[in-house]
Amino acid sequence: MTDTEPLLQVRNLETQFHTDEGIVRAVDGVSFDVYPGETVCIVGESGSGKTVTIESITRILQMPPGEIVGGEVIFDGIDLTTASEKEIRRIRGDRISHVFQNPQGSLNPVYTVGAQIREAIQANRDVGKKAAREQAIELLDEVGIPEAGARIDDYPHEFSGGMRQRVVIAIALAGEPDLLLADEPTTALDVTIEAQIIDLLLRLQEERDMAIVFVTHDLGVVAEIADRVVVMYASKVMEQGHVHEIFDRPAHPYTRALLDCLPGPDGVTPIEGTLPNPLDHPDGCRFAARCEYAIEPCFVGEHPSLLPADGDEDHLVSCLLYRDGHDESVIDREPRRADPFAVGDDT
Amino acid sequence: MSLETDTPESTGIDDIDWEEIDANAVRLDPEIFYKYVSLVLLCLLWAYDYIYRDPRLSLLDVDIPLGFTTFNLELNPGNVDYLMGLTLLAMFWWVAVPLARSPEMTKQYWREFRRNKAAVASLVFLAVILVVGLIGPLIIGRPSSDFGAMHEAPVFLGGTWEYPLGTNSRGEGIFKIVIAGMRVSMQVGLIATLIVIVLASIVGTTAAFSGGWVDEVLMRFVDLLMTFPTFFLILFLVYIYGGDLFMLIVILGITGWGGVCRLVRSEALQRTEEEYIEAAEAAGATMRYIVRRHLIPNVSNTVITAATLAIPFLILTEAVLAFLGFGDPDVWSWGRIIAEGRDDLGTAWWVATIPGIFLFATVLAFNFLGDALRDAIDPRHQIR
Amino acid sequence: MNMKWYISRRVLWAVFATFIILTFTFGLLLISPNPEASAAAFSAATEGGDPEEARERVAEIRGEDRPWHEQYVDFMVSMFTLDWGNSFTYHEPVVDTILRAYPYSVALVVPPTIAAIIAGFAIGVYSSTHQYSLGDFLGTSFAFFGLSLPNFWFAIMLMMVFSVYLGWLPVRYDTSVEFWSLEHIRYLILPWFVIWTGAIASEMRYARAETLEYVNAAWTKTARAKGLDETTLTYRHIFRPALIPLITIVIGDLVGIIFATALVVEVIFTVPGLGLISYQALVRQDTPLVLVTIMIPVFIAIIGNLLQDVAYTMLDPRISYEERDA
Repeated sequence: MTDTEPLLQVRNLETQFHTDEGIVRAVDGVSFDVYPGETVCIVGESGSGKTVTIESITRILQMPPGEIVGGEVIFDGIDLTTASEKEIRRIRGDRISHVFQNPQGSLNPVYTVGAQIREAIQANRDVGKKAAREQAIELLDEVGIPEAGARIDDYPHEFSGGMRQRVVIAIALAGEPDLLLADEPTTALDVTIEAQIIDLLLRLQEERDMAIVFVTHDLGVVAEIADRVVVMYASKVMEQGHVHEIFDRPAHPYTRALLDCLPGPDGVTPIEGTLPNPLDHPDGCRFAARCEYAIEPCFVGEHPSLLPADGDEDHLVSCLLYRDGHDESVIDREPRRADPFAVGDDT
Repeated sequence: MSLETDTPESTGIDDIDWEEIDANAVRLDPEIFYKYVSLVLLCLLWAYDYIYRDPRLSLLDVDIPLGFTTFNLELNPGNVDYLMGLTLLAMFWWVAVPLARSPEMTKQYWREFRRNKAAVASLVFLAVILVVGLIGPLIIGRPSSDFGAMHEAPVFLGGTWEYPLGTNSRGEGIFKIVIAGMRVSMQVGLIATLIVIVLASIVGTTAAFSGGWVDEVLMRFVDLLMTFPTFFLILFLVYIYGGDLFMLIVILGITGWGGVCRLVRSEALQRTEEEYIEAAEAAGATMRYIVRRHLIPNVSNTVITAATLAIPFLILTEAVLAFLGFGDPDVWSWGRIIAEGRDDLGTAWWVATIPGIFLFATVLAFNFLGDALRDAIDPRHQIR
Repeated sequence: MNMKWYISRRVLWAVFATFIILTFTFGLLLISPNPEASAAAFSAATEGGDPEEARERVAEIRGEDRPWHEQYVDFMVSMFTLDWGNSFTYHEPVVDTILRAYPYSVALVVPPTIAAIIAGFAIGVYSSTHQYSLGDFLGTSFAFFGLSLPNFWFAIMLMMVFSVYLGWLPVRYDTSVEFWSLEHIRYLILPWFVIWTGAIASEMRYARAETLEYVNAAWTKTARAKGLDETTLTYRHIFRPALIPLITIVIGDLVGIIFATALVVEVIFTVPGLGLISYQALVRQDTPLVLVTIMIPVFIAIIGNLLQDVAYTMLDPRISYEERDA
């Protein structure tokens, strides 16, 4: 993957929320790259900072109370964290699009879906109302809405959840983006609908050659669609690498534990404990308190920085045991499941 | 205990009391015993007063020697004062005692509440207004005419300390008038709110639990009540029944419970879906028991908040009516004094201005307080 | 189909409500001592006459010695046929008095109400989209003070400062001033300002509360992700969805507030509108006029409620959908 330039580079991104209780460090020094045309999955538990990460990219995060306090997001040579409102507005919708988790609320209930797709087209292209309507129908057709021409004047509540999510995807496609940021787009849907939406996204990616960042907590989905995976925990990246490396030889004890949460031959093994308090992250490794391999140095200092696992520059892990002077071989890196890629298929 | 049903007040309170005297509850809970004893004592006092007292005599008229001077304490309570006593009792048993009984919860509420500095200041201000309004007139007496001291300026404009806030066209001291007005505003605000809470709770829970046509009829009635522009309804009732303070408070109470009632009903409906109610039901508890034991305590935060936010309207309405001349001519309402001051704007601006400042501040304080209560205790507005 | 049914049901309810309110009013008048008869009795007593006789005479003149059901039918018929009787103080049909007064009320109430709605909505939306900013704090504080300000006192304070001390504006309203003239505005400016401040505070609070819900709505995020500019986004995706509930509140809530404020303001500034007529009727115990002047805001409220519900059904696609499903 290093042969081309990355489309998007996220470097040490730090996003905070100012709350009555104090400052929540929701994203605390996150870095990853996205290359043209690939699918990157960001995985983690709820509250690990996945959503905030991708909403920080185009700054659609509610600010305040949110605030990007550090790091860079380089897209097409521009640092989006410092770009002017005008510059970033040109990129939103046109170059980078979003699909959100909740198809119920993602569409404005007082406008027809046609009006909302048209709005997205006209925000990015200088076309007339009539041409925009034509394009909107085409888009609806492309995302698989039957009788697109008739349904364009319907209101969002007249669509089912899955159909509504297709409309949201049509809106996201309106500006012909290079990068689609999908935040748990299937979580709120039935399993059968979920499979259809994922198939749709994969087909669109193929046809349009667009990169997708897919946020999810569902490892089955990851196995099915990801090229590369970023594992997040407590506002930090724990591990990132190619999907096969992550699933076959997870390097971080957290990734390993996460994979064990999938139903396998030995049943489900949940992770003991809970996420640390985001208002006051503990010293040392964020996962140390729940880690079966934790040693004394894990509880002091900063969270360990990302290091190559197995000497592979594309597979990074933030675990003290991979540092020189520690023995990473104590970590059992064999996931308990027989075939990780079977999971995605049978759901 | 058989006496308690003899007076109208006691039947009212008996109906809405949150902890019913079940045969076993009396044995279990001394609090309920004291609650009823205090209520019965108040009612007996009222009954004695009502039946035996010569209206020209005071209930209590004693001279208390204070060394350098003697202080004359004269109590001459009317129906409104007894209702106020009932209201204070209700505040004590329904607010102060539950707070004192669960210090943990109280601490948590206080932590939330304390963050709002304006609300803390408002609470202190209102407490002062209440205490001064209740006790002040007993100590300094009612304003009296002094035709030798008409239109005297306040002390900060070169007046004398005899009339710190100046006098009006009859030579009545504005300072005394303002203190007498505190009492009126507090009585109107608090008593009418008690009436509102009682009516809203009874009708709201009845509608929620009866369902069917009872619910339909009651809530349509509330719809009607709420369609009526309240101010004009009150104006009309005052026109027909006259505006003496007791009547006015009753009118304000019975016209203002619609909004709170809707709240109680919707909260009640929502709560019944919850598990602890179902558990209680499954355990064989009666509806009556569930309502009193589980439901009302749980909706009380919502009700107290809504009631606090209703007080400003009640106080302002009384002031407007008094201002227009439909109030009680025997009562020192701030609104009435402001109306009198209208004729003296050029010569004695303080007559209309000073009572208005107190009215404004009191209403503002209740608004601040209600807003902070909503943030601190109302479960429907909890911060995520 | 169902929407029609809903609307007709709603209209029926409005008629029913009118009926109930009138019946209730009749009942109140029937069972309570007639203030006017009491006044006659009182004056008879002070003049050495027989108070009971005076009371009966008034009742006879007013037809109150007949059985109650006859009176009731009469009352209802005259109410619905706009035959509202004669005013005792003006010695003319009540309708004439009302017709003469209402242009003054309209001139007094309409301009500041429209100004308050526009300004209140604008500030409220600004406040919600700039939550926790200084502007939001100032706006919210202003609304709080405006809401707590006793209107009648505020009017007197303004009058004291601008009319009595500074002498810039007239103290009393003058009916001889040309209705459509700049001079008239000089007379109306203080009353306008009082009504405006009375209305704007609640408009701001409602607008802020209603739109705040949509500031964080998922579709606002979708819209922002489309690359819309903030102005378009605020208007289309925050203000527009809130407009439907806001209309409801404006009609429902404002009618009461405005009429009440207008009455007080007309009394203070002696503007000869419906409020002053109503006030004088109350003071002089002119019951037919009292009844009508109090019923006018009530019926405007009923009609307003009806229009608001119908508007709600037609404007909000979700409502008609639910109706369709039901």
